[in-house]
Amino acid sequence: MSTVERPAAETRRWVGQSVARKEDPKLLTGRAGFIGDVVLPGMLHGAVLRSPHAHARIVSIDTSEAEALPGVVVVLTGATAAELVDPMPAFCAEPVEQRAIAVDRVRFPGEAVAAVAATDRYIAEDACARIRVEYEVLPALVDPVAAMDPSATRVHETLDSNVVFHRTLDWGDVDADLARAHTIVRSSARWHRMGAHPIETAGAVASWDPFSQSMTMWSNSNFINFLPWAFAGILRVSTNRLRMIPCTVGGSFGSKHLITKVVSITGALSKACGRPVQYLEDRADNVAANDNVGCDRIYDAELALAEDGEMLGLVLRIIDDYGAYFQFAHGQHGNAVAQPVGPYRIGSLRYDVSCVLTNKVQQGFFRGAGADPGNFILERLVDKAALEMGIDRVELRRRNFIRPDQFPYKIPTGNIYDSGDYEAVLDRALEIAGLDRWRAEQERLRAEGRYLGIGLASCQERSGYNASEWWSFYDEPPLPATSTPESCKIDVDAMGGVRATIGCPLWGNSPETVVGQVVAEEFGIDPSAVSVVYADSTIGAISAGPGGSRVTIMLSGATRGAARTVKDKMIRVAASAMEMDPEDVECVDGVFRAKGAPGTSMTMAEVGMKAHLFHDGTDEAESSGLVAVYTYDHPYFTPPSADRSDLGAFYPMVSHACHIPIVEVDPETGEVTLRAYYVVNDCGTVMNPALVEGQVVGGIVQGIGAALMEEYSYGATDGALETPTFREYLLPSMHEVPEIVLEHLETPSPFTTYGVKGVGEGGRLVAPTAIASAVDDALRPLGVWVDELPMTPERVVGMIADAQRRP
Amino acid sequence: MKPAPFEYAAPRELDEALDVLGEHGDDARVLAGGQSLVRMMNARQVSPAVVVDINRVRGLDSLGVTGDNGSSTLRLGATVRQRTSELSGEVAAHAPLLAEAGAHVAHAPVRARGTVVGSVAFADPSAELPTALLALDGLVKVRSRAAERTVAADDFFTGPFATSLAPDEMVVGVEVPVTAGRTGSAFVELTRRHGDLPVCGAAVVVGVDDDGRVAHARVALCGADQRPARLPAVETAVVGADDPAAFTEAAARAADGLDPIPSCHGSADFRRHLARVLTARALRTALARATSPKETTDAR
Repeated sequence: MSTVERPAAETRRWVGQSVARKEDPKLLTGRAGFIGDVVLPGMLHGAVLRSPHAHARIVSIDTSEAEALPGVVVVLTGATAAELVDPMPAFCAEPVEQRAIAVDRVRFPGEAVAAVAATDRYIAEDACARIRVEYEVLPALVDPVAAMDPSATRVHETLDSNVVFHRTLDWGDVDADLARAHTIVRSSARWHRMGAHPIETAGAVASWDPFSQSMTMWSNSNFINFLPWAFAGILRVSTNRLRMIPCTVGGSFGSKHLITKVVSITGALSKACGRPVQYLEDRADNVAANDNVGCDRIYDAELALAEDGEMLGLVLRIIDDYGAYFQFAHGQHGNAVAQPVGPYRIGSLRYDVSCVLTNKVQQGFFRGAGADPGNFILERLVDKAALEMGIDRVELRRRNFIRPDQFPYKIPTGNIYDSGDYEAVLDRALEIAGLDRWRAEQERLRAEGRYLGIGLASCQERSGYNASEWWSFYDEPPLPATSTPESCKIDVDAMGGVRATIGCPLWGNSPETVVGQVVAEEFGIDPSAVSVVYADSTIGAISAGPGGSRVTIMLSGATRGAARTVKDKMIRVAASAMEMDPEDVECVDGVFRAKGAPGTSMTMAEVGMKAHLFHDGTDEAESSGLVAVYTYDHPYFTPPSADRSDLGAFYPMVSHACHIPIVEVDPETGEVTLRAYYVVNDCGTVMNPALVEGQVVGGIVQGIGAALMEEYSYGATDGALETPTFREYLLPSMHEVPEIVLEHLETPSPFTTYGVKGVGEGGRLVAPTAIASAVDDALRPLGVWVDELPMTPERVVGMIADAQRRP
Repeated sequence: MKPAPFEYAAPRELDEALDVLGEHGDDARVLAGGQSLVRMMNARQVSPAVVVDINRVRGLDSLGVTGDNGSSTLRLGATVRQRTSELSGEVAAHAPLLAEAGAHVAHAPVRARGTVVGSVAFADPSAELPTALLALDGLVKVRSRAAERTVAADDFFTGPFATSLAPDEMVVGVEVPVTAGRTGSAFVELTRRHGDLPVCGAAVVVGVDDDGRVAHARVALCGADQRPARLPAVETAVVGADDPAAFTEAAARAADGLDPIPSCHGSADFRRHLARVLTARALRTALARATSPKETTDAR
């Protein structure tokens, strides 16, 4: 159920409507064209042999038996692949080199040690089973705290320490706020490693042409139109001889931004044999080695409050286990400091972060991207403050919310919040949840010895990301701030047909639908009449694509820009033909006519034909044709100050939500069951309520996973991955998801086209901490305090036992 | 995730299947519902040289009750699907524990292919059906080309995924003796998600005397030991009991002597804890059902 409450003055026709998804028919009929559907003449199939050890020296590799197997065309080791391709591009300043196939040493369980191309995947895997690798096992670094010890074995000899990055940043006068505080609430917290697990794994088809030294690469990477030069670099192909072609992506949740390892392995295999090669990770490859895991943090946090509950300052000390490599630098913390103070007027922040390397697959990005544990710890502190100070948790939030008249609001780190009305969201959430009814039910069940809990969380979703966050903590960043652009090309043909060509791939979201709506809005035509196609890397449609809840913001800006450029030209062409002043011509319902006095008019087709073939030459500045490429740069970003005392605005479109989950906890078995779930969401102007509902509900489902079941687990001594399949790494299913009641409030962003904000991550950014709060509430009579996710049955029983043992 | 090469045999007669097993022994695997074997082959956890598909073998799909009221027996052949068993009126009437436990196995599409006997032969110490069979004093019917034998469930399960089956033998069916008198049964489990293998589960059958006291009980656990575990000490302790407190006291011994296999879903200690909690719950529900046959409350 999804309801939008919108101000009365609504004049838009298509933006804001639940227009049917353009993407659905091809997806639902299996005709969308994934990597697995790409079949080229003579194409081979790749498979990868992976290390069973977390940390080991490769003593020797014997590939002779594999090479002798009929059907095997090429076998590559790290050493032979290194003759064909270069190491992964990295956004960190530190010397941490990563190759797609390990050379000499493996640093995490599942790291590639060899790759095979054969006439089919079965033979390729048979060949992998025949490769003999001799390892000298090295001590595995599993515990990040132990890895910080100066005497610990180093993951990389090029570093002085496994603490690859450490920095303490103060924003505002933290010490003064701590000194004047009436109460300082302290909490530790543990947020374990979880991963994005899309249905489709990462994959590529590479076709190397040795004669022209050119590479054609189909992939499900997001960055084919953002960093094609980086792919050219690892493939050792000149940038103007690499063509990257997008395929429909079967989900990403952040995991497919780069997928450089897959592209590198596939490209190396194709270069080695001069034939097209397809390599699609299987599930074991993906779970172990895709770089799809998110944050792995230990928090030690303090919230300083005045006697009346005013939040003064926040201290976050964080140890973050990054795994074996550091490709995206400390980006997840750049992300987190976009909204570390949540929706509250907290005046100062100390952020002390240690990024630690261990023998695990490296962190990548997963829906939430660093702000997810940030929301968890902050809302835990606020609930704890309410409890310790005897202030109702709702009231404490009300007292500290940034007020509607304070926007745009600058938080201590320098980021800007554009707009919001947090109290209105909270009030409406309390109303739709029917809190009194649930409190009565809680009383009734407690009398029966049952434990019902009501959760509450009010959280931010920073949206419209700017990739500068990846390196924003460096004093001397390897790269300057980026405008992180998005492009759309629109052409209207001679018959008036509108085609939009976009640089971002179909990543499981709905770019075609959004572009159709925006074009329809601008021309007054039906969205179904708009053709949307995806650009390959030779079109020039620069695009950072989906990620950081940005694509609807950025695509609507790019599309409207391109549509208006073309429309303006059509108005000039029509005005010329109708012998009118362009100022007096408008486009209504796809018809160009005199403003206010419809009489003479021209259709899209009539204007199109004239512009294409019958240019009258009256305006010498205007040439024939109707085409425009519009690149929409990030709408609001300012550079950081040199001393990092102000990071600048980098994530200023800030959505907000209040979640109220209702849970029941079985204290004997530790089982947590969700009974109901209420959400009020504000993502500015809702572009398409049906799409937003899909994003929010899907995010909540992943949030349920984060709260209750998802966790990567590694053997404490050998570092072996203990969750290699979906039998161990658990994802929520429909059975674990209650009905979710969802409403929207709209406070449009002043910075974006139509006032839209992002909403791609919000569900997962809020649900984990909201459900933790519900479990706390349920077990309040037993004195439980949740500070670790996921709340597995064993952890819940353990927390109850610990609470009972406390004096 | 592709299996290693293998030969495939699809006999129509039992003797043909037994011939293949006799010839290849440990190198052959029997394929019935394929819900565990195929997954493990794809992951190359097992790479049998020969797969013997018994789905076409005549006569293995029978389900029925034989004998008179004094000593009747419920029989399920090797290709009887879990879903068929779960929905069978005869199973519901004569071994409701088997139906109740069966409904907890995975999801309906899996049960539509998976077989009861396949689960028993696979001998997963966490699985529901082997434990239900154990609590029902079930029998396992075993054949080789040379001989036929019947093994008590308690003697069949020897360890994790291990049974007393010889390499040339296959399980052709299971039998459950139908108990006369007033009995009640219950199966309760904790799973991480709906349809998952339980972290721990308890299967209980109790018979009551005319006063509503426990006359005899059979208690078995999954996920709590190296194999499906019978709990004779608890069974003895509850005889004569008629109130929940007595069950809790008896169930406090449920984990004694057990050696649970830890996993990321539960440590050995947590499984011992669950053994006690779930045994008490299953006993309470089973007694309630025995004394009031219409009792349908859940086993909380």
